[in-house]
Amino acid sequence: MATQPESSNTFFSSPSKETPIIKLEGITKSFPGVKALDNINLEIYRGTVHALLGENGAGKSTLVKILYGIYTPDKGQIYIDGKPVRIASPMDAIKLGIVMVSQSPVIIDRLTVEENIVLGLEKFNMFAPTRRVRSKIIEVSKTVGVKIDTTTEVWKLSYTQKQLVEIVRGLLLGARVLLLDEAITYLPLEEKSRFYKFIRQFANEGGTVIIITHKIPEAMDVADYITVLRRGKVVGTVPVKNTSIEEIRKMMFGEKSSEITYERLPPGNPGEVLLQIEDLWVKGDFGDYAVRGTSLKVRKGEVVGIAGVAGNGQKELIQAVMRLRHVDKGKIIFENVDITHKTTHFLRLNGVGYIPDLPAKYGVSIENTILENIAIVPTFSSEIINWKRIRALALKMIKEYEVKTPGPETPVKFLSGGNIMKVLVARELTAATKMLVAYNPTRALDEATAIKVRKIIKSKVINENIAALIASEDLDEIFQLSDTIVVMNSGKIVGVFPAEKAKREEVEHLMVM
Amino acid sequence: MEFPISMVIVRRVKPLPYWIVPILALVVGLVISMMILYVMSGGQTTPYDVLLSIYYGFTNLGLLAKTFALLVIVGIGLLVSFKGAIWNIGGEGQFYMGVLLAAWVALFTGFAFNELIGKTTMILMALLAGAFWALLAALPRAYLNIDEVPVTLMMNYIAYYIIDYIIMARWRERQYGYYRTETIPETTKFQLIEGTTLSIELLLLMITIFVLVWLMFKYTSLGLRIRVLSSNPNLLRSSGISVHLTILMALTISGMIIGMAGAAYLGSVSHNLSYPIEEKTPGYGYAGILVAWLSMLELIGVPIAAYIIGALHTAGINIQIAGAGGAAVVNVFIGSILLTYAVLITISEYKIRIIVKKR
Ligand SMILES: Nc1ncnc2c1ncn2[C@@H]1O[C@H](COP(=O)(O)OP(=O)(O)OP(=O)(O)O)[C@@H](O)[C@H]1O
Ligand SMILES: [Mg+2]
Repeated sequence: MATQPESSNTFFSSPSKETPIIKLEGITKSFPGVKALDNINLEIYRGTVHALLGENGAGKSTLVKILYGIYTPDKGQIYIDGKPVRIASPMDAIKLGIVMVSQSPVIIDRLTVEENIVLGLEKFNMFAPTRRVRSKIIEVSKTVGVKIDTTTEVWKLSYTQKQLVEIVRGLLLGARVLLLDEAITYLPLEEKSRFYKFIRQFANEGGTVIIITHKIPEAMDVADYITVLRRGKVVGTVPVKNTSIEEIRKMMFGEKSSEITYERLPPGNPGEVLLQIEDLWVKGDFGDYAVRGTSLKVRKGEVVGIAGVAGNGQKELIQAVMRLRHVDKGKIIFENVDITHKTTHFLRLNGVGYIPDLPAKYGVSIENTILENIAIVPTFSSEIINWKRIRALALKMIKEYEVKTPGPETPVKFLSGGNIMKVLVARELTAATKMLVAYNPTRALDEATAIKVRKIIKSKVINENIAALIASEDLDEIFQLSDTIVVMNSGKIVGVFPAEKAKREEVEHLMVM
Repeated sequence: MEFPISMVIVRRVKPLPYWIVPILALVVGLVISMMILYVMSGGQTTPYDVLLSIYYGFTNLGLLAKTFALLVIVGIGLLVSFKGAIWNIGGEGQFYMGVLLAAWVALFTGFAFNELIGKTTMILMALLAGAFWALLAALPRAYLNIDEVPVTLMMNYIAYYIIDYIIMARWRERQYGYYRTETIPETTKFQLIEGTTLSIELLLLMITIFVLVWLMFKYTSLGLRIRVLSSNPNLLRSSGISVHLTILMALTISGMIIGMAGAAYLGSVSHNLSYPIEEKTPGYGYAGILVAWLSMLELIGVPIAAYIIGALHTAGINIQIAGAGGAAVVNVFIGSILLTYAVLITISEYKIRIIVKKR
């Protein structure tokens, strides 16, 4: 029962007469060239998990950044516990009990976990005895199921553990409201569900959580309410128990929602072998073997999907193929050429597109413009850059992928997370005239865009006869896209299935075995 | 053993607006200079005198011209490497190696017989000398990841000593017994523009370099690569571009440009080398660092910054002539502003927190 934005005020019928812990009234925020938030009215209640959904660039991150004092609204009023407040900085937010956990943890690598937390507290003249810090970390890590030694230095921690440290710090700061902006999107499946359990428990004990995600089922699992944003406006707020995935999709994407499907895309037509990997051994960041004797073939006109839990060597395998990681043993053959000792440059000039993990870190330079981020790849420019050509290319990509930007001269850092990913994906799919190598190619994209990208990949495989090697932590993606499914576990390939015969339970079993 | 106190530097969430820093650095740096000069001169040089000299410096364009042009070239040279976040502190060494090789061409090769050939060869050899001197620091930086700051800095002293040795032991003029070389032949002296300290060749060189570097950053892949080198080298890697080679090019081109300034200095300002070489110039390599910083690493900002620093240089000489302080007055300005700048840029982007570790 989605409603028009105009009537969104009347749409939300509060469950009780209690004062909302957060109330937004007419919040408006513009950036040069875009109205990111347009007259937002929203109420959030104590003890609930409230999910914020919406397509890429809808204004979700801007909204939570306003609550956390990173941006200040142009117009409108925030009420906390019914009282009007001004949140001018994260300091103000934390004093009000609002803590944000970001996608990229902001903790200091050189210090130990304890020191980091104590430091976080001292900023607010709160002194927690080390004993209390320790017991809190132990308590939270038990719920989440991730062990942390509080005296280790942060750089040794995994991504999950860092996220956990951030949350613990927030809780010790007395957080009443946790803001999670795609903060757990990057976690492996199992840890993710434990985190959700923890979030539930936090809410049951009276805390409030605002969570942003692109996975509607996950939002339906963990949240009590879902608010959908579209083009900076509230489309509506619905209690999870009275809604369905279809309804939420419709609120998010309107007409386009009917195009969302998870059915297997049409099969490719595998021809001659383009990429061949033979008994490959590759070391990970910490010096031990991450890829242990892997052999693999990718044919023209075929998508090979690598399924696996994060951290089982997929990343290192992909990087070795792209010649970004040293090969200790074995061979990689591309187009009948042994490329084991060739460079990334060689692959680039031979029509290979590459979508790396962590797009903002490895895939784009956020300080540079969209144009510059395209021109930098040797596929698109020789020694002299033809800006006219790059511009035409950029405009085409912006149009085809519906990148929300004031123009191609905009620095990438001004785009929303998903739109940054769109720039990267558009560039690499254009570069891939013979082969696409990708790791989580639709991460951070909204559902409609993710499916569109998969369709584009598949159509390139079918119509342009390219080969695709795609690792993904998202099994839906693997099943929708692949012609051959390969399961990777502990650096080894433990199963190879033609997609039409692959069974989900079997693949899942091999992944965690 | 671990220190009980540690210092942590954290990047600010909201940095200050960027144009505030250079302006503030100038103002605060000048106030500090005035205080230093006042104390140093035992109260003789008043802030009023300093302001008067500064006024003189900014308005005396003829005197300013050569310093301005040389600073523009050196500033642009440094900018090329700074844009790639490669901190070339070796401008001095690259400059003097340029001077040395230009002097060699002028004094000891046959090229001086013809004006055009002589001057062109001087500039070319100076260019190669500067490039080579920078390359010596660029190679370990690019391939062994050895910090370029101490290396380029040390190379300055090596350059000083080599040149001082050559002046004293090899090239010393015999006629009067001064600690200097012969004067370069008339054919190799650059042509001064009437009423100024600037030569036509220097002016042309400055304009050419400015235009070429502008073109490089606007239209070439190399220029873009150098810029991306500072913003995200990971992107260079995944695009298939050699980070090593990009570092190498940034630093070498930087030295190349600065080396040419050396030839222009010999041709239009000094006409010979004299001992000790390191005290004969205001230290263009170091003043150039300030120029590049004050320009906020924008090419268009370089001439503006060079004008300001050049004027302060003239002002410093003026105070010096008026009798205050020692030979170091000029450097009081440069030093105060650079220091203030460094402090300001740090606190505008970073917060420094002191942590006492409890065990
Ligand atoms: N600092 C900024 N400067 C300029 N424009 C910005 C800035 N931050 C956000 N925007 C713009 O505001 C709009 C909303 O961005 P926001 O990051 O809130 O989207 P989002 O809903 O979080 O999207 P995503 O799902 O892609 O993360 C986008 O069009 C974006 O380009
Ligand atoms: Mg976002």
